[in-house]
Amino acid sequence: MEFKVEIGPQFEGERVRKDDLYIEFGGPKVRSKGELVTVREMDEIEHDKITILGPDIPDLEEGGSYQIGTLVEVAGAELDKDMEPVFERKIHIYSNYIEGFMHLGQRNDIWMRVSKDAVKKGLTTLKEVGKVLSYLYTSELPIIEKVAITYITDPQKLEEFISTCLAVYKERDERVRGMTEESVDEFYGCTLCQSFAPTHVCIITPERIGLCGAISWFDGRAASRIDPLGPFFPVEKGELLDENLVVYSGVNDVVDERSMGESSVYSLHSIFENPHTSCGCFEGIAFYIPEVDGIGILSRNFNGESVIGVPFSTMAGELSGGKQIEGYLGIGIEYLRSPKFLQAEGGLRRIVWMPREIKERVKDDIPEDIFDKIATEEDAKDIDALIEFLNRVEHPVMSGEFA
Amino acid sequence: MSYTIAVAGKGGTGKTTVSALLIQYLKNRSAAPILAIDADPTANLGEVIGLTVDSSIGATLEKFREELPRLPPGVIKNDYLQARLNEVLIEDEKVDLITMGRKEGAGCYCYPNQILREYMTLLAKSYPYMIIDNEAGMEHLSRKTTQKLDVLLLVSDATTRGVRTAGGLKALTVELNLEIKRIYLVICRAPKELNARIIEEIEKQGLELIQTIPEDYRILDYIIEGIPLTNLPGDSPAVIAISDLMEKIL
Repeated sequence: MEFKVEIGPQFEGERVRKDDLYIEFGGPKVRSKGELVTVREMDEIEHDKITILGPDIPDLEEGGSYQIGTLVEVAGAELDKDMEPVFERKIHIYSNYIEGFMHLGQRNDIWMRVSKDAVKKGLTTLKEVGKVLSYLYTSELPIIEKVAITYITDPQKLEEFISTCLAVYKERDERVRGMTEESVDEFYGCTLCQSFAPTHVCIITPERIGLCGAISWFDGRAASRIDPLGPFFPVEKGELLDENLVVYSGVNDVVDERSMGESSVYSLHSIFENPHTSCGCFEGIAFYIPEVDGIGILSRNFNGESVIGVPFSTMAGELSGGKQIEGYLGIGIEYLRSPKFLQAEGGLRRIVWMPREIKERVKDDIPEDIFDKIATEEDAKDIDALIEFLNRVEHPVMSGEFA
Repeated sequence: MSYTIAVAGKGGTGKTTVSALLIQYLKNRSAAPILAIDADPTANLGEVIGLTVDSSIGATLEKFREELPRLPPGVIKNDYLQARLNEVLIEDEKVDLITMGRKEGAGCYCYPNQILREYMTLLAKSYPYMIIDNEAGMEHLSRKTTQKLDVLLLVSDATTRGVRTAGGLKALTVELNLEIKRIYLVICRAPKELNARIIEEIEKQGLELIQTIPEDYRILDYIIEGIPLTNLPGDSPAVIAISDLMEKIL
C-alpha cells in the first residue's frame, strides 16, 4: 500500500509541537470527542469504506481545535464483542504509526494532532488517516476481515455518537466489574517494586488488584503487551490446585522463578497459608488479631495507632520486603470489594476492625448484616475495647461462625 | 535522543539563571525545539523564561493517585495518565516546558513514576535539545527523567564553600549511577580574577572549570521587574559568557 506519509512504529510517541501544528482534534480545549470500535456482522459493513460526516481538514481553519468522533467497525468470522476494547486501543497505536500524526488518550478523552509537514506531504484529509487505519487493522490483525472507518465532526451527529459511546463504555465497565478469575485464561504479574523488594512478585487477577491499589488486571494486560520485557508479564493460570486458598500451578511456577526461589507456593486469597508477599508501598494491611481470632485492616492514610497499638509505619516495616509472613498481608484497598477477598478465612465476615475512612469507602460492598459489627477507631482504640465491642454487637468471630 | 544538558547547584548560586540563558542561546541559534525541564521545586524556571505555569507533574501524579479508586475499571490507567502528563507540557515558540513540581506524598508512586519515565523517554525523542534545571539532590535524574546526560553543569558562586558543594554533587552522580559524558564547573557572579583559594579548592574537588560568569546587574533588575531573563540583550555580560560556554560545549 502507498500512503502520502510514512507509516511505522518509529513514529510512535512523536509529538506534534504547537509550532508544527496544522490542526488539532479533541484535546483539553474541546468538549465533544470520543472513539469506539464496534464488532459487526460480515454483511453489515463494506470493507475499506472511509466516511467523513461533517467538515474535513480542508474545510477547517488552520491552527484550530475541533471536536471529533472516530468509529471503527470491524467484522470477521472469529470476532466477538469482548474483543472491542482491545481493538479500540489499536486506534491509539496505529494512529501513532503515522508520520506527523499524534494520538493521545482513550474513550471520550482523546487528543489528535496533524503536523504542517504531514499536510504538506498530502495528509490533507481525514480520509487518508482512515485509509492507513483500515490497512493496519487488516494487515496486523488477520482475524479482522473487514473494516470500515467513520470520522464524525458534524456537531449533531457527534452528540448522538458520543452518547452511544458513553453507553457502551458503561456497559463494558459493568462487564469488567463482573469478571472473575475463572472467566480468564491468564493473570498478570508485576515486579515493578523489586527495586526495593527484590523477591516480591505481585499477582494481579480480575479479583485481586495490585497491592499499590493502582494496577488492575486490565492495566496488567495493557502494560504487558506494550513492553514484553518490562516489569509486567502474563501468567498462565495452569491447574487450580486448591479451590479454597486459590492456588494455581501456573502462578506457583512464575512466582518461584520471579522471586528467585523465595516463594514457591502462592495462595491468592489467604492470609495464613502461603500468603502473597508484600512489597513496601502497599495501600493497606490486613493483619490477624489472635485475641479475637479476627482480622483488622489498616491503611497508609490512617494517622495514629491501630487497635493493636502499632501505627501503619511500624507494621509496614515488619511485612515489607517480599517475604511470606503468615497473618500479615499487604493489600490494595479495592481488594476489600473482591468477592474472593480472603475467602479462605471467611472474607469480610472475619474483619473486626478498620479505619472509618476505609469503611466508608467500601461501604457498598460490605454485607449489610455485618456492617455495624465492624469496629472503627471510634468504637475501639485497644484490644480490650475491641473485645467488649465485638461481644456487644455479637460479631461472628466471637461465636466462630464466620465461614 | 536529545542532547541533554543538566544544571545543578546550591540554591541562590545562579543555577536557574544559567538554565534560562542556555535556553535563550539555543532558541536564538538553532531551529530545533528545546525541551526545558524545571526539576527544582524551589526554583521557577517557567517564570524566568516568561511562561505562566499552572500545573506540574507532581500535582498531576498526586491527583492521579486520588482519582484511582474512581476511574472506570475499563479505562487503561497508563493511557489515562499519559494524557494527563501531556497536559502539563507548556508549549511556546521553539521551547516547551515541563514543571516537575512538588515532591511526592505518602503511598506508592512506583506505578505513576514508571509511567512518567515512559512518558519522558518518548517525549525526549521529539526534542533535539533538553535543558534540565535540577534540585541539589538530583532525585529527578536518578528516578524520573533520564539517567543519561551529555553535560552536567555544576553551578557555584565564587566561594570555596560553593565549590565544595559542587564537588559533593559530582560525587553524588557516581552514587546515583548517572551516565554523564562530561561534568563542568561554572562560577557565577565571578570577579575578574578568581581568588587563589578558590582555584585550589577547584583542584582539590577534581572539578574542571569551564566558564566564569561575571556579575550582571541587569539580571537582578529583570527579576525584580518580572521581565523574563530570555529578553536580556546580546551585549549583556552574562549572555556573552553563556555564548562562550556553549561554544566550548557544543
